[in-house]
Order: sequence, then structure tokens, then C-alpha cells
Amino acid sequence: MSGPAENGSDLFVAELLRGSLDHCVKCTICETACPVSNVTPLFPGPKYAGPQSERYRIADEPSVDASVDYCSGCGICSMVCPQGVKIAEINAQARNKLKRQKGFPLRDRIITRPTWLGRAGTPTAPIANFTLRFKPFRILGEKVLGVHRDAPAPKFAGRRFSRWFRKHAAEQGANGGAVAAGPAKARKIVYFHGCGTEYYEPWEGQKVVEILEHNGFEVVVPKQDCCGLPLQSSGLFDQGRKVVLRLAHALREHVTDDDTIIVGNATSCTLMLKREAREILSLEDDPDLKFVSERTYDICELLLELHDRGELKTDFSPINERVAYHAPCQQQGHWVGKPALELLALVPGLEVREMNSRCCGIAGTYGLKVEKYDISMSVGRDLFDQVAASGAPQVACDSETCRWQISHGTKLPSVHPIDYLHRAYGLSRNGSS
Amino acid sequence: MRSSELHFDAVVIGTGVAGLVAATRLAQSGARVAVVAKGVGSTHLAPATIDVLGYAPDRVDAPGPALEQLIAARPDHPYALIGADIVADALSWFAELVPSGPLPGYVYGGSLDHNQLLPTALGALRPSALVPETMANGEASGLKRVCIVGTPALRDFHPALCAANLSRAGIDARSVSLELKLERADMNTLGIARRFDDEKWRRQFCAELSMKLRADEAVGLPAMLGLLDPHEVLADVEHRLGRRVFEIPTLPPSVPGIRLYEILRSALRAAGGRLVIGAEVVSSTREGERVASVATRAAGRDLAYVAPWYVLASGGFASGGIELDSHWATHDRALGLPLRGLPADGEERFVATYLDEQPMARVGVAVDAELRAEGAENVLVAGAALPGAVPWREGSGEGIALASGYRAAQVAAGQLSPTAAIA
Amino acid sequence: MVTLSTEILVIGGGATGTGVAWDAALRGYDVVLVDRLDLAEGTSGRFHGMLHSGGRYAVKDPRAAEECIAENRILRRVAADCIEDTGGMFVTTPSDDPDFADRLLEGCRATGVDCEEISVQEALRSEPRLHPKISRAIRVPDANIDVWKTVWAMGHGVQQRGGRILPYHAVTAIHREGDEITGARVRDARTGEETDVHARVTVNATGAWAGQLADMAGIEGVRVLPGRGIMIAMNHRLVNTVVNRCQMPSDGDIIVPIRTVSVIGTTDVNTDDPDDHSVHQDEVDAMLDDGEKLVPGFRQARALRVWTGVRPLFEDAKPTGTDSRDVTRAHALLDHAKRDGVGRFFTITGGKLTTFRLMAEETMNAVVAQLGESRPCTTSTEPLPGSESSEPYRLGERLARKEADLIDEQMICECELVPRHKLEETITRTGSTNLDDIRRQLRLGMGPCQGGFCIYRAAGILHARDGMTAEDADSSLVNFLQERWKGQRPILYGDQLRQSRLDDWIFQGVLDVEHLPS
Repeated sequence: MSGPAENGSDLFVAELLRGSLDHCVKCTICETACPVSNVTPLFPGPKYAGPQSERYRIADEPSVDASVDYCSGCGICSMVCPQGVKIAEINAQARNKLKRQKGFPLRDRIITRPTWLGRAGTPTAPIANFTLRFKPFRILGEKVLGVHRDAPAPKFAGRRFSRWFRKHAAEQGANGGAVAAGPAKARKIVYFHGCGTEYYEPWEGQKVVEILEHNGFEVVVPKQDCCGLPLQSSGLFDQGRKVVLRLAHALREHVTDDDTIIVGNATSCTLMLKREAREILSLEDDPDLKFVSERTYDICELLLELHDRGELKTDFSPINERVAYHAPCQQQGHWVGKPALELLALVPGLEVREMNSRCCGIAGTYGLKVEKYDISMSVGRDLFDQVAASGAPQVACDSETCRWQISHGTKLPSVHPIDYLHRAYGLSRNGSS
Repeated sequence: MRSSELHFDAVVIGTGVAGLVAATRLAQSGARVAVVAKGVGSTHLAPATIDVLGYAPDRVDAPGPALEQLIAARPDHPYALIGADIVADALSWFAELVPSGPLPGYVYGGSLDHNQLLPTALGALRPSALVPETMANGEASGLKRVCIVGTPALRDFHPALCAANLSRAGIDARSVSLELKLERADMNTLGIARRFDDEKWRRQFCAELSMKLRADEAVGLPAMLGLLDPHEVLADVEHRLGRRVFEIPTLPPSVPGIRLYEILRSALRAAGGRLVIGAEVVSSTREGERVASVATRAAGRDLAYVAPWYVLASGGFASGGIELDSHWATHDRALGLPLRGLPADGEERFVATYLDEQPMARVGVAVDAELRAEGAENVLVAGAALPGAVPWREGSGEGIALASGYRAAQVAAGQLSPTAAIA
Repeated sequence: MVTLSTEILVIGGGATGTGVAWDAALRGYDVVLVDRLDLAEGTSGRFHGMLHSGGRYAVKDPRAAEECIAENRILRRVAADCIEDTGGMFVTTPSDDPDFADRLLEGCRATGVDCEEISVQEALRSEPRLHPKISRAIRVPDANIDVWKTVWAMGHGVQQRGGRILPYHAVTAIHREGDEITGARVRDARTGEETDVHARVTVNATGAWAGQLADMAGIEGVRVLPGRGIMIAMNHRLVNTVVNRCQMPSDGDIIVPIRTVSVIGTTDVNTDDPDDHSVHQDEVDAMLDDGEKLVPGFRQARALRVWTGVRPLFEDAKPTGTDSRDVTRAHALLDHAKRDGVGRFFTITGGKLTTFRLMAEETMNAVVAQLGESRPCTTSTEPLPGSESSEPYRLGERLARKEADLIDEQMICECELVPRHKLEETITRTGSTNLDDIRRQLRLGMGPCQGGFCIYRAAGILHARDGMTAEDADSSLVNFLQERWKGQRPILYGDQLRQSRLDDWIFQGVLDVEHLPS
């Protein structure tokens, strides 16, 4: 006899997710918060595309509402909904169905594979970076691939975080095998650095490691790949499942005792591990993923929790600067508040301006796509204006793709919030770009 | 399920007016406060006027004295527990808080001496004690001639029907429907409010509207006079049109409500309080007569919030704070506290006439005279979760929310530390 | 007093009466149809929406099964736009006799109802919400039918052929000259105006009220036993296939996905009064428990609304037991010339919605025969207006239509996707000032919020129509709220209670409808 769990489990899980539409009382709170529908009529809004339209959808019948593809998947709607409707998740399912039906453009297959891109770009960074900034090439890229010519493109660092870390660990004299660094007998942390740190911003990873070690942790870095979020958000669910499960397995192997936790600095990727892969890709029952998801922390979440317990070192030197802080949508999806805001407030002299805008517009790969670039920039306009008005020389933000977009939109540098902690700890001599 | 534990002086559940007021007051007293909420609260749905007492059951002209009478006649009513003095204090505190917020110059006006009668989108006149400046000019006694203005793209406001009902109430009212270029057939008040924030757009709007107005007419608009600087928008529109202008609340979303949320949220932040949205309370632990911790759902795992005080401000049936299940059992969803005001066995939960008073509407979490929940001495209850009121019929929703949030903070802060006590 | 003359007067605007009018109009007769209320406001509009394959009757009532499958095939052709091909499934739940499936298969084969047993895995794959412990599953060609759309399509067809449809015209007297019925006097319930309708033939198609009407004509012994049944609409489609429990027909054993909702039904209780629309709490509770047997978690799902329908169960002479389900569900056509010696008068009652066309055909065959004419029936081949393309209705239709005009079309009812132009068109076409009547034509206000967000909008649009005063618009709004309240009140729990309290907040807190000027 098969119970719901054994019988086409993902279908049943999808049904329950869909069933959350019953909680919708049409109150419009999600509409007030949706970054996209507030700037373009092409997306009819979370309430319409989610719980309302879902009543008209049948699994086996063709999609009739291509407009759901204009949802950026930022997830703000689900967070603000006071009734518990899984709006973003319903939309993600509808997008997936649409894509399965209409086929996936080549573009989506490429830009959703940061690991491939990173491996290809790193050894040839100067050439790759030149190409990514070379207008005729970008125009060609737009024509052939549908990646907007002006969309923010990260710079390949030309070196990989994992190489630095191996060297660092060797210097620290840690025992080999699983690469680990930091004080012996300390509480162990498995560091999930993600693709952004590995290929584009290895210095952010160095800072994470140094901050954690400064606070007495032993840091372990397993060999790892993409979390599958870009695939998921573009509706490539099957591929996304494979990728995230591979990662979960790799991370789990290094969690050797009950005290060990997993920490990441790419907030959207940690959210993918914690919640989105389970809910949107219907992987609630996967034991590796569940294990990993319960032990994964976003770096700022962890540091603030340490501080709440009186375990965070606060030997901060003053930084007499102003910073504009933007909490990315995906960070807010952790449902833990805005820890970076409170961490930054611990740094003496640092004047933190909280940006009160919902979204920078990039939403992972959304703003790269030629048909969505302008929408993405309109979404971000409010944030860009607020940053400009704040008079801050630099922006802090927990997500790398958002940072690239903010820098693109404001022409100001942007960093992960931990940069300020790292500086205030006086660790900067090591971990610079 | 693994869980992290976070420690605070007070944890507030709910992010409507009651929760935000309680948390802000506590934070202002020096307490470490976290607000946890499943989502954004009721502010976005309500007109954002502070209705203290509108009907009892006839229309109330002077809410102050009427409040005293209500308190004497109805010892089970939330106002009787809070007390008239504290209602007055809470109103003064609120009126002073608003201008210090993120909306420059924006103020609330009014008092407990006199209810202001404001037109609704249907053209009825609704009594309120404290109203945002953007609505003040709609006060019925000051309205001689008025033109109600709408636009076809706004399905949530029908100026002709509003004006026709106002005329029936003896106000010389007519209506104008102005075609606005809004690039889509449907736009809610929030979308148009964002346009009003733009000075150029406003100028164009006023130029088009001016041509349709007659001498000596005030102008009533759906509540959409900007989100960022409504004080300036109102002044500018009045200046350009050369007449008094006022906002009329519409169906949700409520632009004045979103302003109110931003005012309270920013006051909480300024006082150092933590706000966690998306954090539904999923369980709690007890130690005897006390709640020891509440767990909220976070991504991947639950988070336990531990505090000596909890304020339950999760609302009534409308927000889902209180639930009636399909077996006809009623629950406080967050903490499972005992309820009061349930219809007796054999008594109807709901009566046959929709607009009659519904017995279930009075249900709330049972509390003592200090708003402490029955059976949980460190839980204070505020807002629509309180029993004994019928807020929409009475016109008392925000008054109860504000005053009970204020009172709950007072009770908790007084116990937290003598120095932190709120005078 | 106005006087009208016609060839065929049909009394009763349900599916059967409108079907008779449509049949008569297609045969070239001039027709007047009257109903005391709006079309399909009685039994027809108060059912679960199932177009039977016949499977449900295959074991117990083979003749009914044969009629159903024949009509099912015809209606899929001629009323395609009103029917969604959901398919149906009989499932053996742990509460059912495991052997009944074999009897069902045998019965279906004997009566010509298409059936196919499928694996449990396949059944659960296509309907993941079904009870995971079902042991057998049999597919049959059940479907759903939108009865309001069907009835109004026939009504428009009649009007296009010169016939007249008079809703809200109650019969106050039957005209009888000697041994013949010559028409009826009707009163317009809205204006009070009376009209005499003279007709060559009068058809009593008043269903559960047929006995009362026959009495007015002085004809005795037409007994119709009203059987009251409740149905509950759930907020979304828990299943996309009509699901029947594989057992002898009983209470709460079918779930019909129709339009955006799924309807569970039904009960069967004898009542004396065909206007008895009461809903008892124990019936609701029992129905929810029945739902759990088919779809675990049914009680956590959102109930939108409950209503009562009254079946006409005809019984010519002797009264039987108490459960009216045992009385024959087959229809009865009474030629009163033969039965009572009263000419030009026919009563058609009993039956079921699936066979309404057949009932109309048999009725008009008898009428034509009595008139000594020869005009053949064409309703089995002539498509209803709107169904000419034979394209079956799909659930996604409204969504697709909105998608085609995403930016320039204003939505008034967001739940049921009713655009502004449709509402304005219907208000103009029908001249109705009653938002509840407009609801049945457009499904306005029938979704989750039950008018919470759209009825203010609709009242504003109604008010803009020529000749409408604010008083009219206000009272139409308040009346609508009261009508919606009736159906929600007995199932107000969980999500729908939250909705209702939010609606209350809008109407009392924001709009203050209680204190409109009087």
C-alpha cells in the first residue's frame, strides 16, 4: 500500500503547496510589496498570478498565462503574506510548467550554470573580463543569447577561493584530508562559499574565514559546486534537483558531530539550501537536504546569534563612515529579520542607513535577460535613488548578484556587510582584494 | 528539528498597530524587543484613522464622555480594562510620535472631545477621533460644496455613487471622473500614490482637474496623495487647485495605512527594536503559569525566542490570530491560550442577518484587568485579540489597538526593571 | 392588463422548462416562458454540476443509466461550451465494499456506459489528493455542466427565434375553458403588473412545484415529493475528475470539480415544502466527514458556501418509505388529456439534470402529437448558441482571455475573472438591477472573497447606468451581501471565516454600509 509520501510524493507535495491558495483572502498585501508588478503591467502581480490564477490551472492542461514568467521569483510576496499563502512557490511551479511546455532558451541553460561559467572564465580572466565588457561582444550576446548588453556582469577574479583556502590551511598547519583551518579543538564550521566567492569574489570568502577563525572556529571547506538556484529560478527543476542534492551530499559528509554547522555568505544560496530547494523543488523528503538545511546559517545570521548569546568578539575599532545597507529579498526570505543591520550597528562610528526599498531588481538572473533588463532597472530605481540620497560612499548588501546590480545602478562600490566587521576587527591586512 | 535560541526582554507577536505600538513603547523604555509576525499586518487594510468610539450603538459625537459611559456599562470591554486615562495618554503619545517619523510634517489631528465625520468611498459618514491631515478637510460639518473625483482605472473608488450618497446626507456633492494616463486598465491607490509623489505628474493632474472644477468646491479624492511626503503633496495639490482637498479611504490596499505602518516601523527601529517578518509562531513551551519560549518558523529550522515577557497582538478572526476549525473548536493560534466570549452551547455563532451583531465577533483571549492572559502570567494581550469588543460596528478598532498596545508595554516595562518603567 | 398570445406557454424556467421552450422554438413554434424567479434559480441552479455518465445508476437503475449515457453523448456535442470533459472515476475507499467494483463494471457493460478499470497508482497519479488507500479505480465519462450557462444559452436561442423569456413572472391563475387549458395569468414580481398569456398549449415544467401548479389548474393527484439535498462548494479543485465512491449511491459520495471549485454532494431528506432551503448543522458535519473519506484533509480545505437543492420526485399514487432516494428518479410526463381529460396541458417533472433534453423532447413530441402536427425534434443535433464550434469548455478559458488582454482589461471580480466590459454589457442587456441575478450569469462574487472586493465595484458600475439612483445601488449591494451571507453562514470556519471577517471589515470598517443615509 502506498501512502501519500511514497506515492508520487512530489505531486502530492505540490498539491499541498498549491492548496495554500485556500488561505488567500485577497487582502492585497502581497501586491503592495511586489517589486515587479509595481513597475510594469507585464506582470499582473503576485495575487493574480498566484492564488487567483492557480484556481484556473490544471496539471495536465497547457499553460495559458505566459505573464507568470515576468515574476522575478524574489519571494517577497510569500514573506509579507499574513495568511500563509505560498505565493512565490505557486508562481515558481507555474513558471516551471510554462518552461517545460515552451522549451528552455539556450540562454537560460547557460546563465544558470555559474560553475561552468566560472571554470571557463577563471583561467582566462583578463580575456573573459574584456569580452564581458566589450560592447560589440555584448551586443552579439544579446542577439544570440538574449542576455542584455548592459546587464551587470561580474568580473572573473582570475583566481579561485578554494586554492587560497588550501594554501591558508597548509599555513595554519591543519591536518590534511578534509581541508580545515583554524584553532584546533574549536567548534567546527563547514563553509559553503558558493560560486560567487569561488570565481568572482574570493576575497569575501577569505574574510569569512578570518572572521570565523578570529572568533575561535575551525573552518572546513569541502569541495563543492553550485546550489542549483539559478536553474530553479529559471524553471529548470530537474537539473536543479540534481545539482542541489549533489551539493547537500558533499556538505553533509563533513558534518561529523552534532555541534557542527554549515555557514554561507551567499544569502540566496544558503536560502536555497535551507528552504527553497525543499519547497519549490519538492525535495522535502530528501534526508541529506533536510539534514543540511537544518544546519545551514547565513553568515550574518550566525554572527548575530553569537552576539545574542554573548559569544561574538566585539573588539571592533571604529570606522567613521556612512554605509547604505540593503537587505536583499533572498536574505529576508530566511525569516530571521535583518541581522546585518544589527551587526553593522555594533561597529563604533559606523553610520548605517537602512534602505527602505524592496528589491534591487536583479533577482538572480532575471535582470540579465534582454526582455527583463528594463524592468529590473525600474525595480531598482527606487533603491538606487535612496542610496544616492543617503550620501553613503559605499553600499553593503548580503547577496553578490544584488551587489553587482546596485553598483551597476548607482556607480558606487558595494560589499558584503562582513567587510565592515572584518575591517573593524583589524583583519584587513590579510583579506584584501 | 534543530533550533536556535534568542534572548530578549520582550517578544511581541504581531505587527499591526497594537503590536508595533507595544514594541515601540517597550524599546523606548530600554527593553530589548523583538517583534515576530507571520506577515505584514492589518495597517495595510484599514483606513488608518484612529477610531476610538464611533457608535454606542448610536453615532457618538464626543468619544471621551461616551468612553466613560461605555466603561461604566461594560466592565468586560477592553476599554474598561485599559481605562479612559490611558486611552487619552496613548492618543497623545501617538499624535506626538507621528511628526517625528519618516514623513516630514505629516500629522494626525483631533481629540477625544469630538468625533470627525469623514466620507467613506460609498458616501456614508464615518466617525473618527484622530485623523491624518490628508483627510481632515473631509469633515462633514465643514463641507458645503464638494466635488468627488475618481478615475476609471481605479476600480476601488466610484465617485458618482459616493457623491450621490453624500447628497442624500445633505451635502452639495457632485462627481468628476478624470481619465488619467496610467498605461494599464487597473491601477490601485498605491500605484497612483507613487505617481503623486512625483511633482511633475502632480502638476499635470492638477492642471487637468482644475478645468473641471467649479468655484467654492472642495475636492475629495480617493486616499492616494503620495507615500513619501503626503504633507507636501496635500499642500501642493491644494495650492495648485486653490481649494481644500481631502482623501477618502478606499478598499485595500490603504495608502494611509501603509504610511502608518512606516511611521510605526521606523519608530521601532529608531528605538532599537528588532522586526522579523515571515516568522510565524509555530509552538511554545511553558514553565508552570509562564510561557518560557515561543518558536517561530525560519528557513530550514525553527527559532526559539526566549523572554520574560510576551505580548500577544496577533489579531482576531480576521487576521487568523484566532481560529475556528471545522469541528467548531476555537483556538488562539500562536499560544493556545484560553478564550472568552464564546457563544454558549445552543446559542448561534452567527445570526441570520448579515449586518446584525454577530456573537462570535466578541471572542478573544481571556485576560485579567492588567491585560494578562488567563493561565499565562507573563503574556499580555493587545489589539483585536482582546475579547469583548466588536470593533467594526463600534468604530473602535484602532483606538483599542493603540491603547492596549500602549498599556501592555506599560505593564511589562514596569516589571522589567524599575528604571525602565514608563512613567 | 397586458395580453400576450403565443403557441406554447412554458411555466418554469429551469433546465427542463427552458429545454422545452428551446425544443419548441427549434420546431418553429412561438414560445413564452415564465418563471416566478430568475432562470435556473430553483432546483436546476442548486445542484452539484455533474453531467452523469450513467455509472452512478448502472447497478441500481439500468434504465436511468442508459438514458444518462445517451444524453451525455448528445450534450457534449450540442452544449459543448457548457461542458468540461473532466472524466469521472469510481474509487473504492477503505469504507466501501470491495466487491461493488465488479458489480459496477458489470452494470456499466450491460447498460453501455463506457468504463475502464485503472491501476491504483495511475488513479493517484492523476488525482494526488485522493485517499491513498483506495483499492480500485474505474474510469467513466462523467463530466461537469454549467447549468446557468446552459439555461441562458437556450434562453437566448429562444429569444433569437422570436420567443419571449419572462423571469420574475409568477403564475397567479391558470385559464381553463371547459376541458382545455388556454393559458395563464402572470404577475411581474418587480412591477406588480399583470399579464394574460393565451396559449395553444401550456406546459407545466415547474419541477418540485408541479403539484402546486396542477392544483391551480384544478387537476388532482399530481404528487411531487420534494427531496432536499445539501451541497458544499470547496474553494478550489481538490480533484479535477468527478470522483464517486464505488458503492450504492448514498450521501456525500461524489465530488464534482466544476469551474473553479469542487462541489461535494449530496444528502436526501424528505420535506413538505419545495421552498425549504434550510441547512442543518449535522448535515454539514456529516458531509465534511464524507469528504475526508475521499480526500484526506478535506476538513482543512476551505469551504466556500453551502446550499440546498430540492429534487422533484414524482409519485403518482401510493406513498412509499421515508428515503426519497428510493422513489423513482425517472421522469414523468403527464398528458392531462389522457390522464384527466383536460386538453392542451402537460406536466413534465421528476428526472435529473443530465436528461433534461430528453424530457423536453418527449414533452414536445407529445404536444406536437396532440396538436396533430408533424414537426420533428432537432435538439440532439442543433448546437446551443455559443456551442457552434463544438469546442469543449476548459477551465483555463477565462485566464486565457484575460492573458490576451492583460493590460487593457479591467477586472471587477478578481476571483472569477469577470471583466468590467462583461459586467456593463450584462447590466445593459438584462436591464437587471439585481446584482445577485447578474452573479448567476457571470459568476460575479462567487469566488473566495464572496463579493468582498467586487461588490462595491459592481454597485458603483450599476449606479452609473441610466436611471439608477444611489438608493437602488445601495440596496442592491446590501441585498447581495445578505444573499452571500446565507450560503456562508453554516460553513463559516477556517479560511472562509477569516475572509468573512475581512469582508466585514471592508463593509463596516471602511465603507460603513450600515450607516448609509436613509
